[in-house]
Amino acid sequence: MMENTAIQLNDVTVRFRIPHEKIPTLQEYAIRWLKGRGVSFTDFNALNNVSFSIRQGETVGIIGANGAGKSTLLKVISRVIRPTHGRVFLRGRIAPLLELGAGFDYEMTGRENIFLNGAVLGFNRKDIASRLDRIVEFSGIDDFIDAPIRTYSSGMVARLGFAIATDIRPDILIIDEILAVGDADFQKKSAARILRYHNDGSTVLLVSHNLDSIENLCDRVIWLEHGAIKMVGWVDDIVKQYSL
Amino acid sequence: MLEYDSAKRPPPAIDEFFQLIRYRDLIFLMVENILKNRYKRSVLGVFWMLLNPLLQTIVLSVAFGTMFKSSVPSYAVYLLTGLLAWNFITQTTQYAMSSMAYGGGLLKRVYIPRATYIVAAVGNGLINLIVSIGALFIIAIFLNHSITTAWLFLPIGIMILTVFSLGLALLLSTASVFFTDTVDIYQVMVQALFFLTPIMYPPSIFPPELSQLLVLNPFVILIEIFRAPIHANCLPDFGLAVKAASLALITLVAGWILFTRKADQLAYRL
Repeated sequence: MMENTAIQLNDVTVRFRIPHEKIPTLQEYAIRWLKGRGVSFTDFNALNNVSFSIRQGETVGIIGANGAGKSTLLKVISRVIRPTHGRVFLRGRIAPLLELGAGFDYEMTGRENIFLNGAVLGFNRKDIASRLDRIVEFSGIDDFIDAPIRTYSSGMVARLGFAIATDIRPDILIIDEILAVGDADFQKKSAARILRYHNDGSTVLLVSHNLDSIENLCDRVIWLEHGAIKMVGWVDDIVKQYSL
Repeated sequence: MLEYDSAKRPPPAIDEFFQLIRYRDLIFLMVENILKNRYKRSVLGVFWMLLNPLLQTIVLSVAFGTMFKSSVPSYAVYLLTGLLAWNFITQTTQYAMSSMAYGGGLLKRVYIPRATYIVAAVGNGLINLIVSIGALFIIAIFLNHSITTAWLFLPIGIMILTVFSLGLALLLSTASVFFTDTVDIYQVMVQALFFLTPIMYPPSIFPPELSQLLVLNPFVILIEIFRAPIHANCLPDFGLAVKAASLALITLVAGWILFTRKADQLAYRL
C-alpha cells in the first residue's frame, strides 16, 4: 500500500445469491425442508475479482454498460455492502453524493432534517449545529428552513442534501453522473464547490455515461464489463477503445 | 486520517458496538423524531402517552375487575403493571421488526450501523414506559394504594425488561429480514401468550398442576419482577430476579451475536 493511496481494491468479489424460486416465508421454507427439497439458487457475481488503486487527488471515471457493476462498485466503496471476497481499503472521509438527503423525514422541517441527515452521514449534533448557518446559506432555502420538507420542491430537497453532504471537504467524493442538482445557478455553484475541493486535494470518483464529461474531467478511467475490469488506463486511450 | 479496511475488521459483535457509539446522535435523533411525528398532529400531544394506559386500565378494570376483586387487591394497579411490562416488550419488538422491514431501505443506500433502527425502537419504547409509569403513579394514588420504598427496585426491573426486549428485538429482526412471515407468526404468538400470561388475571386461577407450566413462559418471570415492587409492595424474590436478569442477558447476547453475524447480509436482503 502506497503512502498516497486513497482507494484500493484487491480481488474484490461481490456475490449475490439469487434463489430460483422466491421463498421469503418461514412457512414455505419449513414445507420445503419437510419435503426434503432444499432451496436451489444461482450465484451471481456482481463484481468479479476487481482490483485497482487510486491515488489521492486523482479524478477517476468509471464507465460501462448498464449492469456492468458500476453501482455495486460504488456501494462496496461507500461501505454499504461488504465484499464477499477480497479487500477494500479507503483512506480519508468519504462523501458518496449518490444518495443526497438519505434518511430525510418529509414531515420534519428543513432544519431538523439537516441534523438528521448529518447524523446519518456520521456527524454529531454539536458539529452540525456549528455549521448550520453555512449549510442553510449554501442551500439557499433560508425562508423555508423551518417548514416541513414535504412542502419543498424536489430541487430544493436535493439542494439541501447537497449542501449537507458537501459542507466540509471530504477526502473522497463519489459522484454519479454529472451532478444536476437544482437550477442552473445552483448547478454552477455546486460544480464550483466540487472543483475547489478537488483542487484542494480531494479524490474524485465519477460514474457517467457521458463520455464528454469523462474526457473533460478525468485523468484515468476504469471500464467495467460484466462485473470485471475490462480496461484501466489513461482517459484518452480508454475512451477511444470504448467508443469503438 | 480515517481509514477503512474491509480486511482488518474487529469481530462484528465488537465492531457494531463501537459503530453504534459513534452514531449515538443518530439514535437520539431517531427516537426524538418518532415521538415528535407520533404526537405532532394531535392536540393532546404527549398527554396521549399518559392517557393511553389510563384509559386502557379503566376499561379493563371495569370489565374484569369484578371477577378478580376478591383474589387481587388493587386490581387496577395489578392490571396496569402487567400491561405496561407486557406492552413494552411486545410493542418494542414489533416496532423494531417493522422499522427494520420498512425503514431498512436506508441501510441499502448509505452506511449506518445496522442495529440503529432496533436500538432506536427500544429507546422509544423505554420513553413510553417511563411516561406510562407516571400514569401508574396517578392510579396508585387515586386508589390509595400504598407507595413504598420497594418502588426503588423499579429501575432494575426496567433495566432487565429493556435488556430482554433489545435481545428479543435483535433475534426477531434478523429472522424477519430472512423470512417475511416472522412478523405475522410473532403477532399470533403474542396474542396467544397474552392470555397464557397472568396479566389480567392472578396466577392462582390455574390449577396447581398447570401452574408448574407457567415457569416455562419467560414473560411470567419478567412481569413478576416488574410488578412485585409496585403491586405487592415488596422486593421480588431474589432467585426470581436472578433468573430474570440471566434470561435477559442471555437473550441479549444471543441476539447481538446473531444479528451482528448476519448484519452484512442485510443490505443484500432488505
